[in-house]
Amino acid sequence: MYSVLICDDSLVARKQVSKSLPEDWPVSIHFAKHGREGIMALREGKGQLLLLDLNMPIMDGYEVLQEINELNIDTKVIVISGDIQPSAHERVKELGAIDFIEKPVDANTLQEVLVKHGIRQGEVVEEEPDEDALDPDIRDCYQEITNVAMGQAGDRLARMLGVFVELPIPNVNLIEVSEMHMMLQDIEAKESVSAVCQGFIGGGVSGEALFILSDSSFDDVAKILSIKEEVDDKVQLELLMDAANILIGTCLNGLASQLDLRFSQGHPIVLGQHRSVSELISANKNKWKRTLAIELSYGLEGYNVQCDLVLLFTEESMNMMNYKLAHLLED
Amino acid sequence: MTDSAADDMTEFHWMMDMIQSIDVGIVVIDKEGRVKVWNGFMESHSGLLPSDVRDKTLFELFEEVDAEWLKNKMRPVIELRNRAFITWEQRPFLFKFRNYRPITGAEDFMYQNIILSPLTTHTGQVENISITIYDMTDVATSKKLLEATQVTLDENLERQSA
Repeated sequence: MYSVLICDDSLVARKQVSKSLPEDWPVSIHFAKHGREGIMALREGKGQLLLLDLNMPIMDGYEVLQEINELNIDTKVIVISGDIQPSAHERVKELGAIDFIEKPVDANTLQEVLVKHGIRQGEVVEEEPDEDALDPDIRDCYQEITNVAMGQAGDRLARMLGVFVELPIPNVNLIEVSEMHMMLQDIEAKESVSAVCQGFIGGGVSGEALFILSDSSFDDVAKILSIKEEVDDKVQLELLMDAANILIGTCLNGLASQLDLRFSQGHPIVLGQHRSVSELISANKNKWKRTLAIELSYGLEGYNVQCDLVLLFTEESMNMMNYKLAHLLED
Repeated sequence: MTDSAADDMTEFHWMMDMIQSIDVGIVVIDKEGRVKVWNGFMESHSGLLPSDVRDKTLFELFEEVDAEWLKNKMRPVIELRNRAFITWEQRPFLFKFRNYRPITGAEDFMYQNIILSPLTTHTGQVENISITIYDMTDVATSKKLLEATQVTLDENLERQSA
């Protein structure tokens, strides 16, 4: 079977790309969280086609392309990135990528590109344009305020923990409940991650922050937070809560100050520990359809710490946020 | 006294009354953990009077409070002006308060959810921290009961299918 490897550090982006693949295309899909993992999968023959992101921790997309050339790996590479600078397009093509698709990817564009390069036969199916897609200006705006919030948060974190924080590039997307469901099921299925969620509300804006920490990070998190005991289940829960408190708190504080709001935070809930995730979502299914998601993937320089922070805003909140951000949108 | 000053006093009075009588523990400590003030909930459950505790540290007053652990939690609150949340699942209690309900209290001790929030001065510095203590005993009891029921149910199902 034809194999497709999706290499992106963002969980949401990986889901979105895999969802955009043609439905009637019998392929085996593999995932990689960063370039190093991607190269490993390629060497195992898991990617006749590689859908590659550029900005990733550990090993970025450019380095992956270089390594593919050096190791002479047989694969076709399509870069899918939010980096829309023309120089990025040129650079990746020089490095051997066959095409470049801007994020967020949609099924139609991907199909066109696949047909164009003869990877897939067939006609381009006309798809209804997504009327509710996020306005690019608004997306930029959200991305910008998240960047600023992250900058402030990162600075405080770095000073307190004495580590260099690799600032993530926020992913801003409108996501459907079904996508959220898939993402959470992933958490449930894999025992290798732990998650905490916490509600926040204030000034007409409300939502939930979801913090996901890969279990392999625990030893290093313990080191950073100067915990000397052995890292057992109980200590892991403690570390998870500490890390969640710090990252959710700093990020929300940063956002709130820019939106000129104050958020009240509810008590955090550990997901997957005592209650199944699907149970949590299905109880809520009829209440919401789509939501604004801001996703951040963090890394700490010199440490094996991988975590994701996803902020999900309710639909109603977006009106208030757009209103608050209106001054940024004016020319 | 002017009217507005009298109004202020009245307002201050009922606000204090509310803080004193609310069924949530409120403690204000300084950066060293010395108790600045606490409310009726804390007084009742600990059995210590405000005059007994003022300017003593939590670590002196309560031997169960792990000083190093609490200081670790306080650090981000002071330095990042960030709230810290601690759930009963992670640590059943901060203060060892005995069960006070002879009939409906099923546990020996009160399970607690804790929130540490920074209190900033007018210059934006964090000099004090407020600790809020929620009684989670009933939630913990139900959760334990639910889990026990699930285990029994699973066992029964297994026996039936065997």
